[in-house]
Amino acid sequence: MVDIIRRSPVTFDKRPARVENRHNWNVVTEFADEGEEGPWITDLCHKTRWDVQDGNLMSLNSSDLPIPENYGDCSLSGEMAVNRMNRTQASVWHFSDDAVQMPNQSAYTETTDATVFLALYGKNVFSITEKLTNLDLNGPDKNPPTLVQGPFSHVPCQILVVNKDGEMPGILFTCSRGYARDMVHAVMDAGREFSLKPAGEDRCKQWINQIL
Amino acid sequence: MALTITCPVCGKRDGYEFRYGGEDKGPRPDEEGLTPENWCDYVHMNDCVAGIQKEWWYHRDGCGVWFSTHRDTTTNLEISDSEVK
Repeated sequence: MVDIIRRSPVTFDKRPARVENRHNWNVVTEFADEGEEGPWITDLCHKTRWDVQDGNLMSLNSSDLPIPENYGDCSLSGEMAVNRMNRTQASVWHFSDDAVQMPNQSAYTETTDATVFLALYGKNVFSITEKLTNLDLNGPDKNPPTLVQGPFSHVPCQILVVNKDGEMPGILFTCSRGYARDMVHAVMDAGREFSLKPAGEDRCKQWINQIL
Repeated sequence: MALTITCPVCGKRDGYEFRYGGEDKGPRPDEEGLTPENWCDYVHMNDCVAGIQKEWWYHRDGCGVWFSTHRDTTTNLEISDSEVK
């Protein structure tokens, strides 16, 4: 029996304090010197992600997969985010630690290994994002959770604005896997003046639970 | 000249997020009785209007939707709401 090794394309220039092997991924649950004040960036590449595409997308709507009716809307829970991209497509991001089995239907495509998945959260997050994109993620027309599709650091991304207000604003975003190194470099560089630090998965879970 | 395009899914965005898809010439001609000359005209010949033109755009850096819109080529301003095909 040979075990495969699944590798995140994201690396940070910090020492992991705790690492867990989960479904063949090495998941950093905590970094050294995360600090108590954000902002933070967390690698979530190991989280299962799907694209769902169908001419009649709403026919796939169910309690297990609550597809929003309006473009840009998101059904967010502690288990997953279902983002409506356009007339025929939705993206599904799972947050669970458990392995998630994809339905054996042609509408589903697994994108976990094809994309990068990052969380950027904590104070001053939107000061960082406005250095990287001309998309107004903090605009008054955005009612979180809401999906914005557009260039972030010149790379086409799906950006989920999870929270705009309070102490813990933040976004989750995905882009093609090949951009991982440069994307992280650009975000860390933009966040340097705000003391952006890499954080493990535990802190990201706390953030999401705090919002929900 | 600055250009903004209104995507029917994402709203008004910077023109650099889009790819121009050419003039909207209507439905492709019927196969029946189609001559190479007619097909060549349909594919390659453009009106190049100095004024309001119906054209295709693709939201390359965003939602990936193809849509058509009317743009005044002399002012680079959109004239009407975009329309998803």
